[in-house]
Amino acid sequence: MILIPCPHCGERNVSEFQYVGEALTRPNPDGVDPEQWRSYLYLRSNPAGPTVESWFHRAGCRRYLKVERDTVTNEVTSVTLPGRGGPQP
Amino acid sequence: MRRKAQATGVDMRLGPRPGEIIDRSRGLTFTWDGDTYPAYRGDTITSALAAAGVRVMSRSFKYHRPRGVMTTSYLDPGCLVQVGDEPNVRASHRMVEPGMSARPQNAWPSLRYDVKSANGALAPFLSAGFYYKTFMRPKRLWPAYERVLRGFSPGGAVSPEAAHDYYDKRYAHPDVVVAGGGPAGMAAAVAAAAAGAAVMLVEGEPELGGHLRWGAAPELAALGDLRRAVAATGGIEVLTDSVVTGRYDGNWVAVVQRSAPGVVERLIKARAGVLVAAPGLIERPYVFSGNDIPGVMLSTGARRLINLWAVKPGERAVVLTANSSGDAAVCDLADAGVDVLKIVDARSGEDVVRAKGGRTLRAVECADGTTVECDLLVTAVGWTAPTSLLNMAGDRPVYNERAARFFPGGGHDDVLATGGIAGDGSLEQLIDHGSAVGRAAARRAHEVSATTEIPSLPVEAHPALFKARTHGFVDFSEDVSSKELEEAVAEGYDSIELAKRYTTATMGPAQGKLESVNAVAVVAAATGATIAATGTTVWRPPYSPVTLGALAGRSFEPVRYSPMQPWHEAHGAKPLVAGQWIRPDHYGDPAAEVRSVRSGVGLIDVTPLGKFDLRGPDVPKLLNQLYINKWSKLALGSVRYGVMCAEDGVVLDDGVTGRLGDDHYLMTATSSGAETVWEWIESWLQTEHPEWRVHVARVTSDFASINIAGPRARDLLSLVVDDVALGPEEFPYMRVRSGSIAGIDGSFMWRIGFTGELSYEIHVPASYGLGVWETLLERGADLGVKPFGVEAQRILRLEKGHLIVGQDTDGLTRAYGAGLDWAVKLDKEDFAGKPELGWQEGRDDFLRLVGLRPLEGTAVPAEGSQIVEAGIIVGRITSSRMSPTLGRSICMGFVAPHLAEPGSAISIVAPDGSRVPAVVTPQLAQVDPKGERLHG
Amino acid sequence: MKPVKNGARRMGRYSAFDLARHGVARNGWPRAWHNHDLRRAYDVVVVGGGVHGLATAYYLAARHGISNVAVLEKGYIGSGGSGRNTAIIRSNYLTPEGVRFYDRSLKLYESLSTELNFNVMFSQRGHLTLAHNDSSLRTMRWRAEVNKLEGIDSEVISTAQVKELVPYLDTSSEARYPVLGALYHPPGGIIRHDAVVWGYARAADSRGVHIHQNTEVLGIDVAGGAVRGVATSGGKVATPVVVNATAGWATLISDMAGVAMPITTSPLQAAVTEPVRPFLGPVIVSGSLHVYLSQTDRGELVFGSAVDPFPSYSMRGSLDFIESLAGHVLELMPSLAKMRVLRQWAGLCDMTPDYSPIMGQTPVEGFLVDVGWGTYGFKAGPVAGEAMAQLIAEGKTPELIAGFSLDRFMRGELLGEKGAAAVGH
Repeated sequence: MILIPCPHCGERNVSEFQYVGEALTRPNPDGVDPEQWRSYLYLRSNPAGPTVESWFHRAGCRRYLKVERDTVTNEVTSVTLPGRGGPQP
Repeated sequence: MRRKAQATGVDMRLGPRPGEIIDRSRGLTFTWDGDTYPAYRGDTITSALAAAGVRVMSRSFKYHRPRGVMTTSYLDPGCLVQVGDEPNVRASHRMVEPGMSARPQNAWPSLRYDVKSANGALAPFLSAGFYYKTFMRPKRLWPAYERVLRGFSPGGAVSPEAAHDYYDKRYAHPDVVVAGGGPAGMAAAVAAAAAGAAVMLVEGEPELGGHLRWGAAPELAALGDLRRAVAATGGIEVLTDSVVTGRYDGNWVAVVQRSAPGVVERLIKARAGVLVAAPGLIERPYVFSGNDIPGVMLSTGARRLINLWAVKPGERAVVLTANSSGDAAVCDLADAGVDVLKIVDARSGEDVVRAKGGRTLRAVECADGTTVECDLLVTAVGWTAPTSLLNMAGDRPVYNERAARFFPGGGHDDVLATGGIAGDGSLEQLIDHGSAVGRAAARRAHEVSATTEIPSLPVEAHPALFKARTHGFVDFSEDVSSKELEEAVAEGYDSIELAKRYTTATMGPAQGKLESVNAVAVVAAATGATIAATGTTVWRPPYSPVTLGALAGRSFEPVRYSPMQPWHEAHGAKPLVAGQWIRPDHYGDPAAEVRSVRSGVGLIDVTPLGKFDLRGPDVPKLLNQLYINKWSKLALGSVRYGVMCAEDGVVLDDGVTGRLGDDHYLMTATSSGAETVWEWIESWLQTEHPEWRVHVARVTSDFASINIAGPRARDLLSLVVDDVALGPEEFPYMRVRSGSIAGIDGSFMWRIGFTGELSYEIHVPASYGLGVWETLLERGADLGVKPFGVEAQRILRLEKGHLIVGQDTDGLTRAYGAGLDWAVKLDKEDFAGKPELGWQEGRDDFLRLVGLRPLEGTAVPAEGSQIVEAGIIVGRITSSRMSPTLGRSICMGFVAPHLAEPGSAISIVAPDGSRVPAVVTPQLAQVDPKGERLHG
Repeated sequence: MKPVKNGARRMGRYSAFDLARHGVARNGWPRAWHNHDLRRAYDVVVVGGGVHGLATAYYLAARHGISNVAVLEKGYIGSGGSGRNTAIIRSNYLTPEGVRFYDRSLKLYESLSTELNFNVMFSQRGHLTLAHNDSSLRTMRWRAEVNKLEGIDSEVISTAQVKELVPYLDTSSEARYPVLGALYHPPGGIIRHDAVVWGYARAADSRGVHIHQNTEVLGIDVAGGAVRGVATSGGKVATPVVVNATAGWATLISDMAGVAMPITTSPLQAAVTEPVRPFLGPVIVSGSLHVYLSQTDRGELVFGSAVDPFPSYSMRGSLDFIESLAGHVLELMPSLAKMRVLRQWAGLCDMTPDYSPIMGQTPVEGFLVDVGWGTYGFKAGPVAGEAMAQLIAEGKTPELIAGFSLDRFMRGELLGEKGAAAVGH
């Protein structure tokens, strides 16, 4: 079980957290075209390697976190507070 | 009449041995295959049986060949037995207990005469993968063939009556876990603890010591010293008869205690700073014809039998030796009074060719042409390094030709190796190495230094002995021979993984620990590749088999009840499982409950409703963002129904939100959607609009919630409320008030109407819920108040045409499809799902939710029934009930757009295949569509 | 596409008679498939030597006479999802389109042993999806009704009937998750997954298809909006048609052609116990408990759950998976507590937003996909191969897979299996 170093709570078991999704920026709904919006909804880069994700510390501080993780090794390299990423679709 | 399965009267028990673990002062008896046998405390099932001269312990899987003891350890492949209702017990590991009842597996009618042993004669036809090549025609006979194949499945039996005994779990946070309590493991534990680490030392056998336990006087002396050092060093927790079954990401280490007071097994989950793998070496069987005949044993097996249990393994022996373990076995055998007839020294090129015998060994044919009549053949041809725990950390073992075994690849900071898997050397060298690893582990666990130097152990030359010039068994539990592996390679299954899968070699209960390297060697020889290039198989967790009970532990499936549960139980409520909540489905007669709501007044416990306390100046912005409808102008004291959609426009949840104060709101969500909604709210506040000033608190369980519904609802509420004016003008529909209910301050009530009646939903502090519920029933007795359950509520809301998200919508239903056109406000600046709903508006290619009325009022088509037109599915029934109010059946369902107009005739296919004609109603509501009752 | 024949060879027949003949004569069987040098050009290159890729190659050669086909596999055949799944076959899906598609697959599976002359040991001992609450009972009724209208043997049965089929199940009303009924699908069952892979490989090989194991795709050459070739660890290959038939690597292979995918990759874990005597006939699935289990012909209990809670390309397996799985198995069958887990493993699943696959053409001409199979790819192997072969041969998307096109996501027209497929094994 991997550990995620929560900036509020310290190192915690991953089972306390909920994976939310790849960190994305929500397009402005005004004037967005279907392709842009649905790309945001559905397309994912899904890399085998480092990626930036949104996680939610469900059984802890209940804060959304920006997590940098390697999807091959599951190594977590950075956990920070989210910027304006937008909720996950 | 039952035949005595085994002759006793034979006594192979030796006089006292210096290292024996049996307690001769404590004799006991147990039964094997129905016969009673004597044993001492400390005996395993097979040591006791071997002491009584029993040689055949089981029949093999495919050919039903007789099998006996070989390793006298947990891995003994021919010694899986049934003990009571427990299948596949390792009889060479499990201690006998008084009165234990053990039975052989895989033998019918008896171990001695097994009719399926006729398969042995068929061996040439039952070659690897034979079942892939036959039983194909005629196709209709395959089920019959299959039944026969299933009849051959090996293993013990489970009983449906077997009790789920007590299993347990524990968390631990040791600095260092040492897997293996042999000399290097003990030394590592002592050194790590001395350096200040909290150590967990785990040993699979019943006591510490590893191979020292069955050694000679110097080993026993060293064992005593090490055990004393372990006992004298603080900070070491010793777990015996326990095994590290897995190492997972983050050095999350699973330890299973196989015997511990009060529990069948206990799973310990240890977050280890450093894991030290010190499993020792596993002696490798040799592949030759007859290598499975009872009487063929490994040198460690024979030595353990003699020295731990004082059992003479045979009378006349041949020993094939390539190493010091074989040499020591010669001494032990002689010491035990076994006549060692011939020593075949593989180091000088000598070899055995085949073993001969039936139920027991009769003779050994050697490469020098001699044949020696004997009842025991002991082999010592080399070692397998059980690198499983290292594999689980990503280690790729490397084959060392000089030592003829695999070594860890190395390179892990938090997983270290010591003892036999790390190298050879004298006992002193192994202990020194263990100490160095222990010190390094302690330092790394404390992050003092990640680059501690660890000395390397010498690597001794060992002849590469895997297979003699005859074919024999590679996998004893699967009955796979070297010939079958060669054939598999010749057929194209020419990589170790394919050969393994095709023949099933290494797939059995020994998990490849005995047979893996031999399989690699045979495949390597067959393909002409080196062992190093052929590679090893990947060892997957668990390291050793674990019961489902230990993995499951005690059942922790949480259940939630409202504070009114005691009343419900006392009044015959039928429970309904609704997610984590258990709720009253009804109290006996849901139709009567509906009628009492429509004609008088009823109460329902709606505590599971999700409830959120929202505070702050920006709550209206949040509500506008979450709901598809408008929220900017919600007046103080008002309540509004809202629908939430996800970003793809699919209906997510619904509920009401009321404004309690200038900056204070209460929101409800469906009970099943409450968790999702909470996170949805937080995600908007934390990621998209962190500048909004809103605080959210979940208050679902802080309040007990009761819906009072029916024409006399106001009359009832007025009996318990006196500080709030309840008149229709003072407290109209869709308003919220706070005050005192039945004397309980801090309560509030809102006037809403899921049931379609005049109704109030009251929320009182949870600890007063039961009292308020009882007070309402007591004071309302004259009004005829009756409780109603979820079933009545579902009927009431269906009559009223209120949808249930998740039942009357599905994972693809967008707002317009659910008939929520009136709610969608596309002129809002933004809200979740707005773009998709904008594109859906005006389209006509999606199913619509409509009210339906079967023409025949007694027909209630089951929910899930399909609506068809010309053989094509054009919709389905999402809700259907007999309406007590209308005295006829009513439904809600999805229909294709061309059928959505009121008055459209549709045809429902009931589950029994009959057709139920129905008509689309003018609106979803079938009772009081104008809402007069609500506003009363 | 014009049929091109490769040098086909007769494969050694398998039958009881031949088994006896080989047993008596003690001579070897011919190779099931052969190793070849990589050609410089193929008519079709299939990426992925699992059941989907091999079936595609087989049907191309067997049905359409297109045999100048290479199947590229980076490990050994069947080393990916095909060898890691729990081998459950069923066709009781939720949507009519899904039912038709999977039923075609089930029918192909039923005749696969004779078609391939390789016993794939399809054990049709039935498939039970348990309902533990009224909403799952409702969804099952929905499924059963759709199934019956599509001619599928599928019915909602009572708790008592469930108990009769599976005596080991705890059907008492005191259970935390009481069994309220089940969706029963008699033709469902389990199969020897490796045998399916090997059967297709052997039959494809005998028709001239080149199977290249240990050959990894490193790049896809696209020019002018069309596929030109593939760069592999064994050298370059020219081809006008590349089929991405991978699982776990669908995004990475599609990235090579510049085609973005609505996919995330997650491990799916499974485990197997030691064998015990036969006690369980049908496959048991519980959506509420996220578990499915079956007993193999060898007596082992094989079980699995939903995909891991976060995406990963790691196949190391986790302890929490096996703990919760064991707990849920014992919720269903408390008397199995003393059975021992022998192995746990993981495979990779490419999850799509609507739990339906992505099949057919892409914006890059000649780059075809058969991906996004989530946790149910094995069931669809034969029909996917058949449909992809037809698409390649005829240049037109078969009706059966039209709904699975990649562009449905950009059109916002997702498919409706999501509800039933969350743990729909």
